[in-house]
Amino acid sequence: MVGEFLQLLGVFVSFSIAYVAFRGVRQTQSSSLVRLATAFVFLGLGFAVEGVVGLGQLVPNLPFSSMAVVAGLLFETTGYFFLAFSHAIDVVMSRRMTAALLMFPVITFTGPQLVDILSVLSFFFVLYGVLETAYSYLTNRRPDTLLIAAGLAMIGAGTFVQWLSLLYLNVDVLSLLQIIMKEIGLLILFTPVLGFAVGGKRIDGAV
Amino acid sequence: MAQYRTQVRIIADVLRAARDMNVEGEGVGVTMLLRRGNMSYSRMSKLLSELVGSGLLQELNGEKISKYRISEKGIQFLAAYHNFEDFAQSFGLRL
Repeated sequence: MVGEFLQLLGVFVSFSIAYVAFRGVRQTQSSSLVRLATAFVFLGLGFAVEGVVGLGQLVPNLPFSSMAVVAGLLFETTGYFFLAFSHAIDVVMSRRMTAALLMFPVITFTGPQLVDILSVLSFFFVLYGVLETAYSYLTNRRPDTLLIAAGLAMIGAGTFVQWLSLLYLNVDVLSLLQIIMKEIGLLILFTPVLGFAVGGKRIDGAV
Repeated sequence: MAQYRTQVRIIADVLRAARDMNVEGEGVGVTMLLRRGNMSYSRMSKLLSELVGSGLLQELNGEKISKYRISEKGIQFLAAYHNFEDFAQSFGLRL
């Protein structure tokens, strides 16, 4: 039950970030914000589907399709893809991107199951996002960028634990641990939104 | 690595120049905007027409040359740009 509640918290946080990013798109027509908003819409959908699937499993004898699990993970992975490639398009195939692409086949084909592959892909995308955000911090030296990198790192660790939870099905605590880690990461990612909510910044542009 | 400027960033740079360099309130000439905007004359002319058309800049027709002043809508755009630039930079992105 705690896990499902945390998934729904993830829905709220993801859609909040997506909302601010979409308002930014309307104000500035920025393609970076389009990708950011798209990422968090997919992440929100992913958490929503996974939360609903989890709640469904609490009801005895309710058939819940494994396709829903895959769909939730697919949404989440797509979200991480857009999050990672917001940076990739920004740096236009830098050397870092090439190195990351070389890592890709090694990691991806270690698991035969679709769910495994999606989890590993999520980990790969988040890891790339962490590297690029940390690199951005070295350029702009903004503490909040470092904080976002830490949040992404926490989500990345969560996706890694999620993958482990698929390998070690008998260790129940891994499933809850991965959700907690992802939620802590998402809450850290929520901090720039707080600037609009309580920091005096107005979403319609006037300061 | 060289960083290219997006269209929205170029617009923000030109609007900032029109705001910051308009010290005497008589508007800013194209030459000054070119210096701050860092682009060709033909591209700047086209951009200025678009910005005037969209109401972000006001064109002040002088005796010899036109001068430009940021409008209220332009000031609002810059405020929004600043807020969302801050938001994007938090995620390590550029607008």
